[in-house]
Amino acid sequence: MEVQKEAQRIMTLSVWKMYHSRMQRGGLRLHRSLQLSLVMRSARELYLSAKVEAHEPPEVPSSVARSPDPRLHPPREAQAAAEAASTDGEQPCPEPMDTQEAPKAEETPARCAPRPAKVSRKRRSSSLSDGGDAGLVPSKKARLEEEGAEEGESAEVPERLQAPPAQAEGAFPNLARVLQRRFSGLLNCSPSAPPTAPPPPACEAKPACRSADSVLNVLVRAVVAF
Amino acid sequence: MEEDIDTRKINNSFLRDHSYATEADIISTVEFNHTGELLATGDKGGRVVIFQREQESKNQVHRRGEYNVYSTFQSHEPEFDYLKSLEIEEKINKIRWLPQQNAAYFLLSTNDKTVKLWKVSERDKRPEGYNLKDEEGRLRDPATITTLRVPVLRPMDLMVEATPRRVFANAHTYHINSISVNSDYETYMSADDLRINLWNFEITNQSFNIVDIKPANMEELTEVITAAEFHPHHCNTFVYSSSKGTIRLCDMRASALCDRHTKFFEEPEDPSNRSFFSEIISSISDVKFSHSGRYIMTRDYLTVKVWDLNMENRPIETYQVHDYLRSKLCSLYENDCIFDKFECRDVTLEASRENSKPRAILKPRKVCVGGKRRKDEISVDSLDFSKKILHTAWHPSENIIAVAATNNLYIFQDKVN
Repeated sequence: MEVQKEAQRIMTLSVWKMYHSRMQRGGLRLHRSLQLSLVMRSARELYLSAKVEAHEPPEVPSSVARSPDPRLHPPREAQAAAEAASTDGEQPCPEPMDTQEAPKAEETPARCAPRPAKVSRKRRSSSLSDGGDAGLVPSKKARLEEEGAEEGESAEVPERLQAPPAQAEGAFPNLARVLQRRFSGLLNCSPSAPPTAPPPPACEAKPACRSADSVLNVLVRAVVAF
Repeated sequence: MEEDIDTRKINNSFLRDHSYATEADIISTVEFNHTGELLATGDKGGRVVIFQREQESKNQVHRRGEYNVYSTFQSHEPEFDYLKSLEIEEKINKIRWLPQQNAAYFLLSTNDKTVKLWKVSERDKRPEGYNLKDEEGRLRDPATITTLRVPVLRPMDLMVEATPRRVFANAHTYHINSISVNSDYETYMSADDLRINLWNFEITNQSFNIVDIKPANMEELTEVITAAEFHPHHCNTFVYSSSKGTIRLCDMRASALCDRHTKFFEEPEDPSNRSFFSEIISSISDVKFSHSGRYIMTRDYLTVKVWDLNMENRPIETYQVHDYLRSKLCSLYENDCIFDKFECRDVTLEASRENSKPRAILKPRKVCVGGKRRKDEISVDSLDFSKKILHTAWHPSENIIAVAATNNLYIFQDKVN
């Protein structure tokens, strides 16, 4: 838990630094931006691997306890994110910086990455009994997690998928969510994909190039403008 | 002309936005010339200040030569790239002296985008007795001239002039991080994040691109060039370091574009030291050849490594410079100190191969201060990161070091006699 918090803190700090480095004199420094994105990537990987470990044993009581927390945190943080993002006008790719209010987050994956988003949405809907607009509003995510935990072994992979979105806290909840969705997309494209969520065949090609770094992609897209 | 004035007005209004007055004085680079007689400093405001060592006089034998201001000039001005809507900082990133070939001194100074060759010359005589001009320089009426005379050179107060002789511009898309003069004294190279260009001193409108590591797809970018230097004797050989902690040695005779290295120096990473910031701290910030050209010294955030050119798989020596910071990496990341780039300074490399006092010899930065404090048993937590020293220069032959701390320059001399 400590590790996760630390990783999350570093992730948000990196995003903040990257955002501010664009405003300094002399323009975006390539080396610095690269370093920031590397830190963010390692923090993200650590965060996600720590989360995966934490969710391996199904934790029903703790997930119930967690449900009020996401509800409390994101309203405050989404507001901060929206404030930060509103001044960010010239970001070429709308992916991580496009932190609007929580309900709009559904659109961001659709806009930027139709295939992985489709994949993840497909998987989410397949594992959810009620389907619909899941995974974005904190209360629903918490419920999702409980369901995932109860389903047991047959839904091991979807459970892993559900777990990350529930914990998308921090100053940029949507950013973290998008990143996690991407990463989960990679997880699910392994050969041991469950029958309940068959990944599209092109999914394997996509992660190969996206695994480089989705954040780096975005960042470097800004740099390419130079 | 009017355009230039407007540009300057625009730039000045940018500058006054934040507390710029003192920021402009922050020293950004320090470099001794080949004899050690002159010391050049560049600052964030684009100025170059040259110090000259006093000649030791006979009546003051015990007093070693002190450095006094010799010349000050504005090397670079802030510019604006209209195409990209970006300011180009006037901060001097590097200064390199050319070896002296006549009475004048030549140095290269560079900011993020433009390299300039400056000639610094003394004038201590001036001609007097012109026929067509009077003493104030006003033209005389030719009708009043009845005799002709030959102008004579009369001594005057010493005046040091700096004139820009060459401007090498528009060759770099990314920010220039280093320049290096070749041993043939005819060419030099300038390196930015992704490319290295080779210039001839006489030609300013062309340069050769000798290294290009820009990937076809920028999304695949994984490393950038951080420093580059020519071999001290072989004019065809140079090295460049990367942000991944690797050094590549290239031979320009092999091909016009030296993308494929001749030698590749990398030390395998110690997995026990992995952290969030491993990649940042392994980035090499400076690389230097030894005098003989057999060894190279590299500096990353926490260590200094000495490599033998004949052995590529690991350095022959590693010095932990401020390992006590390893536990503090997170707070260093927060206050941006982890991005600081330290320099390599050690001219007497061969002599100091025995590891006596590596810290004292090699890198007198904050480490000196930190080292002393540790002896007095003050903890690492009390280190003031705002008092860090990033730029130092070592006199080529004597034990004199110039240390730049923000906007102050300190010169330490060894009191041997």
